[in-house]
Amino acid sequence: MNEAVWVVTLAAAVSAGTPLALAAVGEILAERSGVLNLGVEGMMLLGAVVAFLAADAAGNPWLGLLAGMAAGGGLAAVHAFLSVTMRANQIVSGLALVIFGTGLASFLGKPVEGQPLGSRIENIRIPGLADIPILGRILFDQDPLVYLSWLVVGLAAFYMVRTRAGLALRACGESPATADAMGLSVARIRYAHVIVGGLLAGAGGAYQVLVRVPAWNGAGTTAGIGWIALALVVFAAWRPWRALAGAYLFGAALAANFALQAAGVRVVPAEFLAMLPYLLTILVLVALSASSTRKQLGAPAALGVPYVREER
Amino acid sequence: MEVRLERRLTKESLGQRVAVAALSVVAALILGAIFLLLTGFSPLTVYYEMFKSAFTTWYGITDTLAVSIPLILTGLAAAVAFRMGLYNIGAEGQLYVGAILSSWAALAIAPGLPRPLAIVLVLGAGMLGGALWILVPAVARAWLGTSEIITTLLLNFVALYLMRYLIFGSASYWRDPAVTNFPQGKTIPEEAYLPVLGLTRVHLGLLIGLLAAVLLWVMINRTRFGFNMRVIGDSPAAARYAAIPIRRTILTVMLMSGALAGLAGASEVTGISHTLDPNGLAVNFGYTGIIVAALARSNPFGVVVVAVLLGGLQNAGSTLQTLSETPVPIETSYMLQGAILLCALAGELFVRYRVHIRRGPGATKEPSGGVLRGARSGP
Repeated sequence: MNEAVWVVTLAAAVSAGTPLALAAVGEILAERSGVLNLGVEGMMLLGAVVAFLAADAAGNPWLGLLAGMAAGGGLAAVHAFLSVTMRANQIVSGLALVIFGTGLASFLGKPVEGQPLGSRIENIRIPGLADIPILGRILFDQDPLVYLSWLVVGLAAFYMVRTRAGLALRACGESPATADAMGLSVARIRYAHVIVGGLLAGAGGAYQVLVRVPAWNGAGTTAGIGWIALALVVFAAWRPWRALAGAYLFGAALAANFALQAAGVRVVPAEFLAMLPYLLTILVLVALSASSTRKQLGAPAALGVPYVREER
Repeated sequence: MEVRLERRLTKESLGQRVAVAALSVVAALILGAIFLLLTGFSPLTVYYEMFKSAFTTWYGITDTLAVSIPLILTGLAAAVAFRMGLYNIGAEGQLYVGAILSSWAALAIAPGLPRPLAIVLVLGAGMLGGALWILVPAVARAWLGTSEIITTLLLNFVALYLMRYLIFGSASYWRDPAVTNFPQGKTIPEEAYLPVLGLTRVHLGLLIGLLAAVLLWVMINRTRFGFNMRVIGDSPAAARYAAIPIRRTILTVMLMSGALAGLAGASEVTGISHTLDPNGLAVNFGYTGIIVAALARSNPFGVVVVAVLLGGLQNAGSTLQTLSETPVPIETSYMLQGAILLCALAGELFVRYRVHIRRGPGATKEPSGGVLRGARSGP
């Protein structure tokens, strides 16, 4: 590979990693409040199809983004209702979200399957920074959502560690009984963060159709990146900046596929390259569990446990 | 107004369970109706046509049974794992690999063998394939504590690409070299065909599925191994104190789960398609099996009943897509399946809790804890 190809590949890795980063940060917020939401893939798919339909109808990709976020948030609210109010098993509820989200998205997207989207979000070169050799091309000649994702990651990190509300959030995930005794509403905090997580997952799904491939391709539109985002949360030890770095790493695995084909490497069949991100994710999960326990990684202590005041 | 939930201390009756399940289905149909209306379909017509095509004609009923065969097997695969608190979300991929290995066995070993022997070998190869595909997640779960949810799920994508590579991406052993315009798999020899009921698509897999349900029920409820499983599922700490071999049990149960999903793949190859057909296999049998197990609350006999109902939904979906005057996409049935699961989850609350609603100024706040402290009988 010559220099130009690897620079283009790294730029593609940043773009491929952006929906992962958005969804992972959203999931970090939800899990820090103590709610495990396995439904990321479903929220992303629904976000993607709604974003496509809205952008197509309005002729404006930004309206599509907002609609996609709302769809992700709406589905997340269902999970919050089931797991917080109805005290359902969070794992089963999350899986139900994936199955329902995938089914609903395929149903809604059926009439437009395979059609191209007229309007998409275009790249914006940041003057000055984009002229930095190599780095400028990789980081500062991207679409606006890449820059926005940095803002989201930075805000989430600041919020979680430096603000009073962030402290309440973490208390809720570590020891909801304590948070309750402090006068915080565990239910309200959990609802809020699960829904914000859904908004971000919806944005990640919308990114797939508004930026990466401007078309709706059924369940292949997200092709399991919601699950990779879930693994990324563990990989990032529930910290936003690490999630961003991890997202670019996995983004590179997703982008390597196209880069190698573009470079004319035909030694490895395309199907095997496509397996790479999934295998890498499994490898990372197994390696992490071998090296340390989840507790040492920083998993919220009350993750996945419904909080029932009468039974604490 | 104040709403208060109280845990039921008695086990729910079968009547309550059935009532909750029926109400969940009704609620899901209402939810589905909203989306059907939004997209310009008439919900009543769609539901009527679905019911009619799946459950009223002889062909409809036999086709529903044929579709329910893989769902019984993948439902049992999910249920046996659920029963001890494990989540095998990878039945989809295990089904593909079961189909790959069984079609290999059918092509390579079966020709010339007596039919019963050929069928046993080919189905066995499918079970081996499914078990192999879950081996890494199972070992990682049992010895390292790696969450099996994400690892089993991600392998679904790997298996899908593998299967597509064998038929669409290469001149593999499975691919029929005689057909060049659209790539497809070689047809397996007739020795490995599962016997069918008359002229229908219902095949021996139905009896195999029923037998598997009976065996699993006996294993879970009447053997020491099943007792160990239930103890681990209900209380891992108690299992440790009782010196139950936790790791070995986890490994065995996960391999069993994978083998059942692999058997589903093998039964599709030997009973329906008679070839490795990636497009015919990738129709969510594995994912639907999770819904089946969840709705059946992991009871093997419940799995059979729910599999036939959801099989009807899936069968109706594909009939409506092709036959009716205004084609309704098959995705309608996926949406409805998901909606049923969501509603059933919400409905479970009413099985587990007694809901008190008090109105007016008399609704005073109970001191937290209070009467129920200590009354923590689990579901």
